[in-house]
Order: sequence, then structure tokens, then C-alpha cells
Amino acid sequence: MAQMNLDCLGEACPVPLIRTQKALTDLAVGDVLVVEIDHSCAMKNIPEWCGKEGHNFEIEEVEDGQWEIVIEKTH
Amino acid sequence: MADQTVKPGAGPFLTALRSSDTYKALLVNPWTYVTGAVVLALLNAALLSSTGKAWGVTTSFAYWGAWVWQAVGGDPKSWLYFNEIKPAFQKLTFFTDAGTIIDLGVIIGALLATLLAGQFKVKAVKSNRQIVAAILGGLLMGFGARLAFGCNIGSLFSAIPSMSLHGWIFMPFMFVGAFVGSKMLVKYFM
Repeated sequence: MAQMNLDCLGEACPVPLIRTQKALTDLAVGDVLVVEIDHSCAMKNIPEWCGKEGHNFEIEEVEDGQWEIVIEKTH
Repeated sequence: MADQTVKPGAGPFLTALRSSDTYKALLVNPWTYVTGAVVLALLNAALLSSTGKAWGVTTSFAYWGAWVWQAVGGDPKSWLYFNEIKPAFQKLTFFTDAGTIIDLGVIIGALLATLLAGQFKVKAVKSNRQIVAAILGGLLMGFGARLAFGCNIGSLFSAIPSMSLHGWIFMPFMFVGAFVGSKMLVKYFM
């Protein structure tokens, strides 16, 4: 069970989603990816994609306009 | 999930307001695509009936550039474009061009929306590549919008509901452009 951080601060759509998809392919099942974002539409499309793919996720608001999406790779 | 509702310095009224479900549904959480589409359609219909013109964005950008050029001594009023394509430019000023006011409204509205959602943040530029991508993308979009006589708002969103054929021609080529642009983004700028 490894944890990896992905810094997507300052990056606009669709870059955070594409980088998240790439990063997850390199992880093993059960690993956790923490994606840092400050672009509100990434807060919509990354969870949407995780939901579609069936990965577990949780969104945390770190501060105004900045979030962490914690994703657990399930398959 | 962290408690998003408690902000330092916010009084009990603001804290209660921010944590109410109505406030969150209206001003914090993103609306659905359908809600957004219906609201945009109603606003565009209102704009068309009150000003006689459907919504457009980039024509005013060309005016802004021309006004800047004029301010530094240029003579854009003599250009063919502002005589034959957009003769309206001859009489307009920054504050009498409805498109300019709408564009300013979009910027101020976006700022207001992000402030009300409590999501305002000054973002740092991450890399030089981002600067290159932004400038290159802006130039391509601006140039393309003038060649096509409109952007995805004027030439698509306003054109198709107006039963104008040019919107349907614009649409497939917009997808081609978006496809090539996305490939370039992934290849060179990520």
C-alpha cells in the first residue's frame, strides 16, 4: 500500500484529469493517489471519472479554492 | 470530508448562510449541464430581444485591440475590416459597444461567482511552458475567431438556435480543432 502525491496546482483542465489517469496506471491495486488541485472544474471531472471507473475517492478542501482528491485504486 | 463551512472571521450569520443547503446548491456546487444550458438559452433569448443581437464575445476583442492601436497613433478606422465587415466600429466607443459591456460582465460575473462560492485563489504560474501554451493558445484562438467571424459563442451557440447554417459548418471544424489542440496539449505541454 503505497501513497503517491500528484501536484496539479496551477494547472487547468483537462491537464489534472489526464495526469491523474496516467499516474493511476502506474500504481498497484490498493495504492492511494493524492491529487492536489486548485481548478474547480477538476473537482468535478476527476471525481466523475473515478466514479465511472469505480475507484474510491474523497474530496478535501484544503483552503479557499484548493482541494485534495484522495483516490484509492480498486482494480 | 473537511468542514468547508467554518471560515475564520465569519460571524454566525455568514457561517449559517454558507452551510445552508440552498446556498450550496445555488452558489457553491457546480450546476448540472442541463441547468446551465437552459439558463444560457434564456439569457441569450433575452439579450437578442433587448439588443437585437445574439450573444457574441470576440468581435469586441478585435475592437479592444483596434482601440489600443488607435491610442498609440494607429488608424484602424481606415482598415477594410472596419469599413466593410464591421462598419459599426466607426461609431462605437468602449462604453457604447454592447459586446464590450457584456464581456466585462462575464469577467466580473465570474469573479463574483468564485468569491460567493468561497473558491477565490490567486494562482501561481507553474512553468514557462504554461506561459508559452497560454500565449500560443490565445493567439490561435483570437486569429481563428476573426477568420471564422466568431468564436464558439457567436458562431455556434448563437448561430445554431438562430437557424443559421454557418453554425452547423462551424461545429464539425471546431471538433477537429479541439481534437488537434488536445493532442498537442498532451504531447508538448504536459
